Amino acid sequence: MLTRLAGARIVDPAHGAQEEVRDLYVRDGRIVDRPRDGERIDRTWDAAGTIAMAGAIDLHTHIGGGKVNIARGLLPELGRQHSLSATDVCGACTIGPAPSTLATGYRYAAMGYTACFEPAMQPVNARQAHMEMGDTPIVDKGAYAMLGNDDFLLRLLADGADRAVIRDYVAWTLHSTQAIGIKVVNAGGISAFKFNQRSLDVDEAHVHYGITPRTILRELARAVHDLGVPHPLHVHSSNLGVPGNVDSTLATIDAAEGLPIHLTHLQFHSYGTEGDRRFSSAAARIAEKVNASPNVSVDVGQIMFGQTVTASGDSMLQYRNARHGRPAKWVVMDIECDAGCGVVPFRYRDRDFVNALQWAIGLELFLLIRDPWRVFLTTDHPNGGPFTSYPHLIKLLMDGSFRKDVLARINPEAAAMTALGSLEREYSLQEIAIMTRAAPARILGLEDHGHLGAGAAANIVIYEPHPDPEVMFATPRWVFKDGELVAERGEVKAVPQGAIHTVKPDFDRGIERRLKTWFEQHHTQSLASFKIDDEEVCECGRAPRLAVHACRARSS
Amino acid sequence: MPLRGATCGFCGLLCDDLEIEVEGAALRPVRGACARSEAALAALGAVVDPVPRIAGQPASLDSALTAAAETLRCARRPVIGGLDVDVAGMRSALALAQRIGAVVDHAGGSIKYRNLHALQEFGAITTTFAEARNRADLVLLAGDGWWRRFPRFVERILAPTGAERRIVTLTALDPATRMTLPKQAEVLALDAPLVGLPAVCTMLHALVADRPVQATRLTGVSQPALQRCAEWLRAAKYGVIVWSAADFDWAHAELTVQAIAQLVRTLNATTRFAALPLAGNDADLTANAVQTWQAGVPLPASYANRSVDFDPKRYAWRDVLARGEADLLLWVSSLSAAAPPPVPGIPCVALTRADVGVGAAAHVQIPVATPGIDAAGHLLRSDKVITLRLPRLRESGLPAVSTVLDALLARLALTRC
Repeated sequence: MLTRLAGARIVDPAHGAQEEVRDLYVRDGRIVDRPRDGERIDRTWDAAGTIAMAGAIDLHTHIGGGKVNIARGLLPELGRQHSLSATDVCGACTIGPAPSTLATGYRYAAMGYTACFEPAMQPVNARQAHMEMGDTPIVDKGAYAMLGNDDFLLRLLADGADRAVIRDYVAWTLHSTQAIGIKVVNAGGISAFKFNQRSLDVDEAHVHYGITPRTILRELARAVHDLGVPHPLHVHSSNLGVPGNVDSTLATIDAAEGLPIHLTHLQFHSYGTEGDRRFSSAAARIAEKVNASPNVSVDVGQIMFGQTVTASGDSMLQYRNARHGRPAKWVVMDIECDAGCGVVPFRYRDRDFVNALQWAIGLELFLLIRDPWRVFLTTDHPNGGPFTSYPHLIKLLMDGSFRKDVLARINPEAAAMTALGSLEREYSLQEIAIMTRAAPARILGLEDHGHLGAGAAANIVIYEPHPDPEVMFATPRWVFKDGELVAERGEVKAVPQGAIHTVKPDFDRGIERRLKTWFEQHHTQSLASFKIDDEEVCECGRAPRLAVHACRARSS
Repeated sequence: MPLRGATCGFCGLLCDDLEIEVEGAALRPVRGACARSEAALAALGAVVDPVPRIAGQPASLDSALTAAAETLRCARRPVIGGLDVDVAGMRSALALAQRIGAVVDHAGGSIKYRNLHALQEFGAITTTFAEARNRADLVLLAGDGWWRRFPRFVERILAPTGAERRIVTLTALDPATRMTLPKQAEVLALDAPLVGLPAVCTMLHALVADRPVQATRLTGVSQPALQRCAEWLRAAKYGVIVWSAADFDWAHAELTVQAIAQLVRTLNATTRFAALPLAGNDADLTANAVQTWQAGVPLPASYANRSVDFDPKRYAWRDVLARGEADLLLWVSSLSAAAPPPVPGIPCVALTRADVGVGAAAHVQIPVATPGIDAAGHLLRSDKVITLRLPRLRESGLPAVSTVLDALLARLALTRC
């Protein structure tokens, strides 16, 4: 089966900045250079006058695992306000700030996204995470396993364990939970909260284990790097949402000691304490540091005005911030000597000083961080706002006059404290394509995603140019997933199941002896029950295939 | 005789340390089985060759499926109930509900909703088994039946050493369970009457918040005992309060759960304290979790009119049937020994555990595999974070719930009424 997409302008930054009008060919779900001699073209799609990009990739979106399910259960009133009727191919479901998994798959696909990555899969909750992702149709999926608050690792670090042991444990976790990366959330802080410690700075000691977040960050970044996992350690820094947390964010960058790290939802970690309200933007200092640190990539976690719900592994900070939540009901959990979570609804208001400044800080980061290969477009869905707001966010980045119009409407005190009005930068289509396609594929090690070259998965989005980028990006004319038309002008046309992306670095299985004893002494399930093998993850995740990406071990 | 490691799905604890001898259909527990588990294993092990039935008469699976599909096809207001099934079974049940526009609820939905209702009104601070096992230095126990529904809770979570624990019995504990409490534990017995539990929680809340109270009039517990308990609460480093909502069998039980949640929240201002509700029996948490993630709203729900709606007042299955709003009951059961409820006047299609007889109550009965016995399956544990895979123990030839429901859906897709 050979398909031709004829006449689109190709925006494919992985293969250079040059845009050209040419035909794309798809054979059996993959992009090919050209037909074989005499090969019949089975179908031609006339894409003249359109723009073609690879399928978009969201590298940080909370789509699987218990946190969002708690949010759904906590806030049925939000789901009931946003009902989606069944169609011939789609099931009935709801899409609020905590959308159903079905709606998540449908809407992501309709917006031109073909792969989504759950950033906070708790190892003990991995099965459920894969199940929820399995019921998130169309898009490919993957997840980062959370470490750095689990008692096993903290004890290893406190005992000064050999780096090889830590490396084996990290690799074992990737295998056992079927993850593609490792994330650390408030290093040590979630655990410290279980011992009634209410805050933990980068160089402060955990009250029980005596180790600091700096040590945890350094050792995890080292292990991930040495194992050759493509995605650097994914870091949710200390002190989320706390005024003045700029210092701990800068210290977090230093803690990596030059090794690759990815700082997630950076907006929530870029706050100063200037001004009468003791809350200010520190985006300029953060951006300067990021610009000067080629080992660092970031995603922004932009907030969008409106009702949402925050769902985070960071129980310590979610508990602390719960008093700001609306409506005033929230959940905090300690989880299984492994992690924690906190679910707090938020209503971000443009007339509120703090919310308005948070909004501006996110945009400052987007505009001040120069290299689009190292800054990714996220709202930390659903924490800063639901992913359905991405087209609006793209408009804020591409259209400076629109941005200024919105700036003129927000809380005036906040507007006076942001440099946003003086930032003239407007993102180009190329830059949007980099930050939503080429760069996330590269940083996740997805060789066959994020580009339109021969051999790539035929995840292709056909946009109709429009003066309003929000319109253009909200409803692409066609979205192809592995060569199949899955959405047309916002309407879902087919509901295939996506693959699960993982990595499986080499390691010494001797670590299991130690883990078996640990499980017997402390856990409430056996080591065997904990592990998820390939067959099981495909069953739970309803995945037609497991895409295992290469790791190239590095010596430290 | 082969000895097999097993994970038990007959309560929300999902103990994964069982050893069971399997010979033919017979299942002989060697290690780890509680009374509840033993009863289920004995009942299932005694079943010989269960067959589908149409109007009480033995039938092939194929003809039973055809008869069931015929019945389903013409339903306008179907209810899908039971739902003590694994994740795969629930996924299939929801696909079918989407197709036929059914009201969906778990057999124990109104009990499960007690905790969920409090969550939706107030929120919660909760913990999980391993946290309680390793950290809890104070455990409050409430309720008069949780030890029957979760027989190994004390043995598996409270008895292992590690933390030195104090234990408070807010309501009276049965003597046998009391005997199993850790020997070294210091125990304070408040032993309030069960109906006094909300008042006890409110009083303790007031005491830890340093408000004046006159305790005895409301709770039947002496003031010094309550004071002592409040001191223990304040002194705890990691306290846990345990209950099973099935014990709170009174109107507005959610307010009792909320009183507990408020006490827990207040204690967290100074120390760490968490709720540990026991749940998950008959896979109620599993059914609710799958529904919640797929639809975005929990059970009970209606899939009528090609949209999904959550409303505990309208869609609780017993009420829907009692109001005469249903024209078909599809009962889907695989873990519970309970038979489908008799509902005069409407047809019933019942998928049941192999040992469950339905007589003439169901037009079509299809015995199905029990997860962890006849088929592998996934269930959510009581603490809502852990999902375990229950491996298959024996070759019974019984079809999995998902297999049967998928086959029904396939037959429905062929024609419309």
